[in-house]
Amino acid sequence: MIEIPDLATGGLAVGMLSALALGGGLLRAQRQQARQRAENAALRRQLEGVLEAFTAEVEHLAARRLPAAARQPAHPHVAVPGPLHPQTAGAPLGHALEQVLAGMQTELAAQRTRIDAAAQAGMRGATREIQAGLYRLQDALRGLQQKYDDPELTQTLFQLDHENEQSLRRAQVAAVVCGAWVGLAREESHLVDAVTGGQARLVGYHRVRVHNHLASGTGLVSHAVEPVAIIVAELLDNALRHSAPDTDVVVNLEHVHHGVCVTVDDAGLGMTQDERARAQRLVAGSEPILLTELGDPPRMGHAAIGQLTRQFDLSVDVSSPSPYGGVRAVLRVDSHLLSTIDPDERPPAASAPRSTRTASRDEASADSRGEASSTSHGYGAEHDDDASDAVSGHHAPRDAGGLPQRRRRSRVAAAANDVPAARTAVRRPERAAAALGALQAGTAAARSAADESTGDASTAVPGAAVPETAGAAQQRAEAAANDTDQTDDEGGTAR
Amino acid sequence: MTGRRGGRPLVPAYLSTGGVARPSRPHLERLSVLTGAGTPAPAGLPAAQLALLDALDDGSLTVVEAAALLRLPVSAVRVLAAELIDRDLVLARAPIPPAGRFDPDLLKRVADGLRALKHN
Repeated sequence: MIEIPDLATGGLAVGMLSALALGGGLLRAQRQQARQRAENAALRRQLEGVLEAFTAEVEHLAARRLPAAARQPAHPHVAVPGPLHPQTAGAPLGHALEQVLAGMQTELAAQRTRIDAAAQAGMRGATREIQAGLYRLQDALRGLQQKYDDPELTQTLFQLDHENEQSLRRAQVAAVVCGAWVGLAREESHLVDAVTGGQARLVGYHRVRVHNHLASGTGLVSHAVEPVAIIVAELLDNALRHSAPDTDVVVNLEHVHHGVCVTVDDAGLGMTQDERARAQRLVAGSEPILLTELGDPPRMGHAAIGQLTRQFDLSVDVSSPSPYGGVRAVLRVDSHLLSTIDPDERPPAASAPRSTRTASRDEASADSRGEASSTSHGYGAEHDDDASDAVSGHHAPRDAGGLPQRRRRSRVAAAANDVPAARTAVRRPERAAAALGALQAGTAAARSAADESTGDASTAVPGAAVPETAGAAQQRAEAAANDTDQTDDEGGTAR
Repeated sequence: MTGRRGGRPLVPAYLSTGGVARPSRPHLERLSVLTGAGTPAPAGLPAAQLALLDALDDGSLTVVEAAALLRLPVSAVRVLAAELIDRDLVLARAPIPPAGRFDPDLLKRVADGLRALKHN
């Protein structure tokens, strides 16, 4: 019986021990579980935080950084904000987000170019048609100008022609900016004609003073004529637009070492440093042009110049201020775009200012051209009248470039040789009129001696050539009828 | 020398007169004869007027001839010539009537009148 309680106690003890052990294990397990739960919770919190930060970062990217990055190419002053948390920048997430931005910008730039190219193509087509139409209109207007000479009609035709020239210029410039050809093939022309032609395309052409210091016969090769006219027109337009209406815009045409320079000076406000830098960048034509960058309304002048300078190997400089206070724009035409036109065979247009170089000076320089040393360049001495050596020194490099000089008419020489003979021949009718007047006066005087009436004989003073009074016309008619050698002479001089 | 030979003219006609189309004196006709006065051209003369004066240097020209020579419309040359006449640089005469158009009756009467004068 005793053994039973022992057994029971033993069993109880074992049971207690195991219960204790189990209880301990249970406790430990519970504690571990709690710890793990806390750990889990902490991890979850952390994860949620990271997720939140990630979401916030992406939201920030979408809301702030992407728009800024998209706007940046068009507006360089826009700064793209950085990531929300500075520590993201160095993390892989930061790099990934930067790549998103870069990819978008690349794609956007490509898109921009594509859209701009499409817009340019559309505009090119439209302006081409307009330009062709305006040329046809110009032909019609000029035909009418030749046909009718009623002053009122002519006045209207002149106005219409001028309006047409302006429209033509706008259409042409728009086409050129959009990468089109200038739209008109011209033949070799005098450079001064191209400049004057450009001048005629502007509203304020009255204010332009062209000083032509070129040797006569300085021409442009055919493909450079229209570009030079367009560039000069645009430079002049800027000059006229940015200077007071009562000031002149001065254009000088001069020879330089490697060609010819057309200098446009205005007395306006000038440009700020930024404007000048931008203008210089545009006229250099080194960057492709986007219509969207030209502003609204688009300012196409400089962009068109840029296109033309690149295509035709011309160079334009607008970086220096003018001594008149405004802007000095210099177009340089290199020798390979110049040619020589015989001014006797094809004189420049009547409205083109003639060269300031006199015939005698040109001849002197032509004579001394042979022995002129090509090493000396007397640039400053161009206007010295007696410095033929210096002038030829100045001319020598240009002559080496293949520009012989010829004069249209040697007026000075002609005047020196046979002025008296020519003048008497030309004056004959007036002399005859004067002689007849004297005869009439004499007759009247004789009559007045007879009847003491002076009359109006004193009006016919000998030597006074008043060709268009009725009396004189009558006398001339008689003279023409009587004086045969005079009519012969008339036939000779009237060509 | 025709307008089309050189293609489209670069310089429009209105530039020659500065846009003016109404001559200061209306009597100039297409066949009016222009003659240079022989005085040296003053400084500051517009280029087109100088060109016209230059063309008249070699002798008299009618307005139409000058227009053809300068490749300008007649209307523009009339303006130029009128301005030069106003400045006494050019003389203009009415068109020379074609020979043979003189009325014999008129000539006869003139002769009679002269004879009558002589006999008085």
